[in-house]
Amino acid sequence: MAQLTKRGLIAAVVCSDTFMKLGSAQARVFGVPDLPLLKIQHPLGGLDMTKVRERASVALPQLLKVVKEKQT
Amino acid sequence: MSSLENMLQAPGALLECDDDPEAVHAFLCERGLSDGLPVIPPTPERVERMLAYCDREFDRPVVKIPPRFGAATPIRIAANAVMAGCKPEYFPLVLLALEAMAEEPYNLYGTQATTHPCTPMLIFNGPIASEVGINAGQNAMGNYYRANAAIGRAVRLALVNIGAAIPGTGDMATAGTPAKFTFCVAENEAASPWEPLHVELGFPKEASTVTVIAAEGPHNINDHESITAEGILTMVAGTMTITGSNNAYYNGQPCVAFGPEHAQTVAGGGMSKADVKQWLFERATLPMSRFSKEGIERRFRRKLADQYANAPLDAPVRMVQKPEDLLVIVTGGAGKHSAYIPTFGNTRAVTRALERADGELVKSIQELKRG
Repeated sequence: MAQLTKRGLIAAVVCSDTFMKLGSAQARVFGVPDLPLLKIQHPLGGLDMTKVRERASVALPQLLKVVKEKQT
Repeated sequence: MSSLENMLQAPGALLECDDDPEAVHAFLCERGLSDGLPVIPPTPERVERMLAYCDREFDRPVVKIPPRFGAATPIRIAANAVMAGCKPEYFPLVLLALEAMAEEPYNLYGTQATTHPCTPMLIFNGPIASEVGINAGQNAMGNYYRANAAIGRAVRLALVNIGAAIPGTGDMATAGTPAKFTFCVAENEAASPWEPLHVELGFPKEASTVTVIAAEGPHNINDHESITAEGILTMVAGTMTITGSNNAYYNGQPCVAFGPEHAQTVAGGGMSKADVKQWLFERATLPMSRFSKEGIERRFRRKLADQYANAPLDAPVRMVQKPEDLLVIVTGGAGKHSAYIPTFGNTRAVTRALERADGELVKSIQELKRG
């Protein structure tokens, strides 16, 4: 995602709340400190489809907001 | 090469605190510069002595350690080696291990940040292991011996202090493993009936090598009853076959560390190392039905569809994907025990030989002494 961001594309990372610190730190390490992290509830692994959809419904508005902001 | 004194003038290069041992311990723990156990304070004088066997430029990074991608210069690594309790002659082996771990197939980034409880297991072969005193005999994977304890610990401290493998932010291991304090052994080449690991991998016998694997802690294999190769290997295969292992799904390279007595029994049955690997490849399997219904459906049927989409429930799930992927070593002393060491998933073992700057193999650690 860092590479895509550096190439001028709109990119974001879905990140569960437990992993937000790691995600933020890695964004800085890879030179894209403003890389959007789409925060969802942990965990992401081991979920049934209902809970996966719940996570997606939380992530999607964040993604749309990022896209709109980047396009303006 | 800039002098050590000049390097220590850089901002942040030096920290000052009370020299009382308890105060030093508290100071470093508060700053997250520790593994939680007391350390030797890395004073400039001690760091300089640690570099006595370093043939590199002190301030040129040898590797970068993720997830911070911190520049691991000899001077920084030396500070961690001092903290760990290393003798200066251990230092080239610490460097060697870090260089091996930085090779792409090892996947240092993944192994540092994963939720899986992996840590570098360092396996030393060749003459320098015994020259510096790495224990390959009784209790080889355990405590007591300074070289085993300090070399493995120095690597671990470098991963934390330079690479920022901090629990919860850079090291996301769910519960981790006590092997994260140190996991360093030598192969007991003298007691092995087979060629040592480094020779098997194509290195000259006189080479001194480290093999790094992203390992879980060792799982013991107790077998006081078997008196045949097949008997011992049946027990090894039984220990290898566990549903919760990454090796059931990925291309890792787990390790069987035979105790010398088990190894002699297996070799006495006419089995070479290659035979052992083939035997275990074929028999260290679980029927897919032993995994959970969800695991079968989500992991095997979908993610591993090439192999298992339409496979019957009794299809074998292998614990090693190719015979040659299994590492076989001999270590430890007397007793009817061996060990199985599973690994992280997306990782390969890496072996490197200790060489001088001119590319020649180091035959004795004393060749690297400066001045």
